[in-house]
Amino acid sequence: MRALIVDDSRTMRIIISKIVKELGFETGDAGHGGEALDWIANNGFPELVCCDWNMPEMNGLEFVKAARELPGNEAMQIMMITTESEAENVMAALESGANEYLMKPFTKESIQDKMSILGLAP
Amino acid sequence: MNELINEFLVESYENLDQYDSGLVELEKNPSSKETVSSIFRTLHTIKGTCGFLGLSRLEAIAHAGENLLSLVREGTLPFTRPIATALLATGDAVRSILSELEKTGEEGTADYSELVATLIRLQKPEAPEEESAPAPATAAAPAPKAAAPAAAKPATPPAVATVAAPAVAPAPTPAAAPKPAAPAEVKTPAKPKAEGSEHAPAAKVTDGTVRVNVDLLDRLMNLVGELVLTRNQIVQLAGTIESAPMQAACHRLNHITTELQDRMMKTRVQPIDALWSKFPRTVRDLARMCGKEIRLETEGAETELDRTVIEAIKDPMTHLLRNSVDHGVESPDDRRAAGKNPEGRILLRAFHAAGLVTIEIVDDGGGIKVERVKTRAIERNLITAERAAQMSTQDLVNLIFLPGFSTAEAVSNISGRGVGMDVVKTQIEKIGGMVDMSTEVGKSTTCRIKIPLTLAIIPVVIVGCRGERFAIPQTNLLEVIRLDKNLTVETVHETPVVRLRGNLLPIVFLDSVLNLKSGSRHEIQHLVVLQAGDRHFGLVVDTIHEAEEIVVKPLGRALMSLSCFAGATILGDGHVSLILDIYGLGTRASMFQGTRSSHTLEDESKSAAGKGAGTTFDELLVFSVGGTRAAVPLDMVSRLEEFGAEQIEYSAGRQVIQYGGSIMPLISLAHALGMRDTPSSDGRVQTIVYTEGSRSVGLLIDGVEEIVRSSVEVQPSGRRSGVMGSAVIGKQITELIDTHELVRTHASELFH
Repeated sequence: MRALIVDDSRTMRIIISKIVKELGFETGDAGHGGEALDWIANNGFPELVCCDWNMPEMNGLEFVKAARELPGNEAMQIMMITTESEAENVMAALESGANEYLMKPFTKESIQDKMSILGLAP
Repeated sequence: MNELINEFLVESYENLDQYDSGLVELEKNPSSKETVSSIFRTLHTIKGTCGFLGLSRLEAIAHAGENLLSLVREGTLPFTRPIATALLATGDAVRSILSELEKTGEEGTADYSELVATLIRLQKPEAPEEESAPAPATAAAPAPKAAAPAAAKPATPPAVATVAAPAVAPAPTPAAAPKPAAPAEVKTPAKPKAEGSEHAPAAKVTDGTVRVNVDLLDRLMNLVGELVLTRNQIVQLAGTIESAPMQAACHRLNHITTELQDRMMKTRVQPIDALWSKFPRTVRDLARMCGKEIRLETEGAETELDRTVIEAIKDPMTHLLRNSVDHGVESPDDRRAAGKNPEGRILLRAFHAAGLVTIEIVDDGGGIKVERVKTRAIERNLITAERAAQMSTQDLVNLIFLPGFSTAEAVSNISGRGVGMDVVKTQIEKIGGMVDMSTEVGKSTTCRIKIPLTLAIIPVVIVGCRGERFAIPQTNLLEVIRLDKNLTVETVHETPVVRLRGNLLPIVFLDSVLNLKSGSRHEIQHLVVLQAGDRHFGLVVDTIHEAEEIVVKPLGRALMSLSCFAGATILGDGHVSLILDIYGLGTRASMFQGTRSSHTLEDESKSAAGKGAGTTFDELLVFSVGGTRAAVPLDMVSRLEEFGAEQIEYSAGRQVIQYGGSIMPLISLAHALGMRDTPSSDGRVQTIVYTEGSRSVGLLIDGVEEIVRSSVEVQPSGRRSGVMGSAVIGKQITELIDTHELVRTHASELFH
């Protein structure tokens, strides 16, 4: 299974990739929504996208909207990763097609919990 | 975890550079949504990551800053100066915690609660104006009162932006146009081509860039350098073999090596913005200290330079820029009176031309008052009144680069100023660059720097002298002439000269300067006409060999202090050859004593004919110590510094001071000379910084008196360690200090 990590911070991408890899995923990464769409165009839909909210060029919400327009995207699950200060935006993201959200800072366990809700982890 | 912290540090430093310039940009253009989002993101990302790394102190500061910024971003709060100042202080606080983290792995214990309180207080829209002042002292940010015209000078110099920069180039702002720069260092994600999705094997993002450690690049560069040398050897050997396939292979090797070298060079370039991005902050802080309004603009920030060159021009450029702010741009009142926009403008411009990079610093200030420069230069005995009368405006303006010109300023405002503009000039000339000034009275001053793209590989001409071979950098070389019966060496006032196209050119014999005695001089010699800065002289050598591109190898530490040599290289035939440092060589041969200005050849001949080129001048820094008048040759002085007496600390029984990030031992000159100490009356101590190689030592003196330039004859005055003798300078007996010997006696552990 593959997960695409979308975050403008390299450090954040490393942190998230590490956890997701431990859960048995292969990972790819992208620095913002636009790069994530390019990744999908090249590699096909991953099973999971972990997407940051605040990014340059194309932010998380714009990415969710654009990704859900793509034909055949239905099986792809999107998990928004936000901070407390962005909590109010979560609803907008869920309405636009995100499947779950995760609040920073998170632990391996909290990711695992969310992923089992999505049916991606035991 | 360690790797993660490193990544976090590199990323955060990169973002912080953009953060500072973003804030300054926002001050000018508060409505820029894009800028505010970008700086918001910096704090946001740092805060977000802190949670994972357990950095709670850093998180708290970033969080408070982020909250304040989010109000600005939403438009709830106007972006005011107090907010800008507090946010800049936030950046500084984050930087110092990061550097603490880098050094010790811990966040440190500095107290930022006042900063956080300020950030919180500013979130209330009605925060009264005077609350802008109390930015915490720990954050080292100047906090001038926004409205007060006479801004209080903060205790710390505004050079706070020079916090341990990461060893990689800052990534460009994502919104900026993609830069063609340094593929290995700048993250420009390549747009993957539209491939069919069946090509998608493992889930790896097709990223066109990788991040490479700079050390590795340096090592690769070195290896390429070795390859170039080997190539040169092989090409030379192949010349002796009659074999067509061999020749063809050689040709290919030649071609590929050149290309490899060229590409390798490109991996080491950085846009000059890597340096410039720190300047908006410097200018802002300094301008506010001087009570001026200055806008900094840049053109050609994407111009690429080797990173070693960027490193080398950092200090001189900062100095020039500070000079522009301090002396170039007038105060708002003066500008208004002159009918100008009260806000001054400084433009930084960079472009490539003729294999060099040109950098200009242009201010729209009052210009340099040429008459004042002239008077001052004459007063200081830097030129004679007759010479001055013949000089063009352009030449007169450039007198400010003479050593000793800006001394009044240096003495009154020693700290951080060094000895003056001549230091800038020397630093730039050291890397084979040139600097000159031009000015338009009342309108503008332009300082133009021309520097080579790289320092690692240089074109040279190989010359021979008494069986030895030396490399002369092409940048210093003007022409090569055969010395025969049409061109002979004459002597004018004991100085050997040749008549070249009607002008007198002073000359130096390489073998006598370097004391080469083996072998004999060739019957027919050659004259190499050289240029060091704006002085010309001829160097007599035996033979001229080929022109080559060589890889500069630095000399070992023991040889570093030899001013005549810039390095060494390995020639095509495997022999080692020393690279001549033309500037050092000229100095050694006393070519530059006396005034060093834009001597054209005509000037040389005039002065040679007029008052005798043989007059020797020495530049001496005269100072008082222990109630006595003493002097050292000015070229022994690397800087003059003033410290607070309380800054002196003791380490291993020796007085030391923290200086430029390291610990500098101090020698009490009075003690060393067996005189009594005169305690400083105002709590300040004056030091002469003497540097040899990478070691510096501070000599404590009472105070600088003057810089003199006269033909001084040293008279022996009894045997005293550290004293060369005495001389009459300005009608007073003055002790001449032998710095070299003195530091060896009194700081022997440092210099042996």
